[in-house]
Amino acid sequence: MATNKKGGISKPALILGGLTLVLLVLVIIFFTGGGGEKVKRFVDSNVPKTAETAGAKALTKTVTLFFIADDDLLHKETREITAGPTEADEAERALTELIRGSEEGLISPLPPGTKVRQVFIARDGLATVDFSRDIADSFSYGSTSELAAVYSVVNTLVFNFKPVKKVVLLVEGAERETLGGHVDLSRAFFPDYSLVAR
Amino acid sequence: MQIFRIKRPALIAAVLAIAAVGLAFPGPVAAAPAQDQALRTVVIDPGHGGLESGAKGKFGNLEKDITLAVSLKLKALIEKDMGFEVVLTRDRDVDVSIENRSAIANNRKAGLFISIHANGSVQRKAGGSETFFLSLNATDEETRRLAYLENNSSALQSRIDPSSDSDLMMILWDMAQNAYIKQSSRLAELVQAELDAMLGTRNRGIKQAPFKILTGVACPAILVEAAFISNPDEEQKLASDAFQTKVAEAIFRGLALFLKRGE
Repeated sequence: MATNKKGGISKPALILGGLTLVLLVLVIIFFTGGGGEKVKRFVDSNVPKTAETAGAKALTKTVTLFFIADDDLLHKETREITAGPTEADEAERALTELIRGSEEGLISPLPPGTKVRQVFIARDGLATVDFSRDIADSFSYGSTSELAAVYSVVNTLVFNFKPVKKVVLLVEGAERETLGGHVDLSRAFFPDYSLVAR
Repeated sequence: MQIFRIKRPALIAAVLAIAAVGLAFPGPVAAAPAQDQALRTVVIDPGHGGLESGAKGKFGNLEKDITLAVSLKLKALIEKDMGFEVVLTRDRDVDVSIENRSAIANNRKAGLFISIHANGSVQRKAGGSETFFLSLNATDEETRRLAYLENNSSALQSRIDPSSDSDLMMILWDMAQNAYIKQSSRLAELVQAELDAMLGTRNRGIKQAPFKILTGVACPAILVEAAFISNPDEEQKLASDAFQTKVAEAIFRGLALFLKRGE
């Protein structure tokens, strides 16, 4: 009886104590466990990247741009651009440099003032480049200058960026028939190196 | 291009169905294909026009004015010496969309299509004359469909009803020129040889390019780039009546040779 009584009294206390302990453990796991994971993810992905970028190492990438020379052909000129983070970002910078012009006295086939609004590279190798309206509206193209404008862009992208196989040009986010009445923009372009000097 | 991929079996089935209908009812419905009948109509396309002036010269000459002047001279030559009907895609300074230009050629059942331009480059010294025909800048998928079209080109016109506006018809018309590439290259060669002989400008040869004006034309088609308006010397030549006449005569001779040799 005494043991029974004693057990009767101690049983709720035991259960209560046990529950408190379990709750305590759960609370500790909840905070430390969750917090630990968060810290771990942060360390894994973000911290090293920032450290690398700040490390001033492998920051630039050399790209080949295509400009027009006296012989009326496209000529290669190399240029350092800021690297990464994505190839689309690099492609955007390469095209901006193409518009900015040559440092060796060649001529850019793209009208000055043209802006690269966006470059998107799809998994199937199709790069879509969206230019500001200046590319079409600020210049009166002939067949030769229009072909040079289109293929300087297409060649620059396919030559420098491995995933890019073909290129579509947009103007102000929309499809356009031609830049100046000649070259059909409705289909994707493959590079044409016949317009490039050997 | 994704649309093509999805609809390809349906597309081919539809083409075959249309072909079958055409064969089963060979009445006035099935127009005879251009190359199997005597050439009756030549369509000349003076490049640009209206608000779209094309390339501009240092002295203020506009490509659209020169192309029209040369086209009118060529029209007169052909009508006088060959007796073909000549249709111009524009006969004055107006805007005509590229689609409408090829539609004019196809609706009039053109046997030959000649687009006339003057060239422009950002490099002022660039000069010379060249003749283009359409390039096949096609994916593998498209190449297979083109091979199909090429093998069946003699019946192309009978299978495509120009009055139809369904997506299928639009796609087929959009590629109409692909069935005539070989003849177009031959025509380009002959016209370029005459330009070289008569104009005294640098011979830039025959070239292929994805020009919008050529893609939808269902007959042999070329685009002539006579000299550079962006080159001050050549601009002054292009503006002269004598040089414009020479350009027209050179193209006319090339055409005559093409027809004489039975394409």
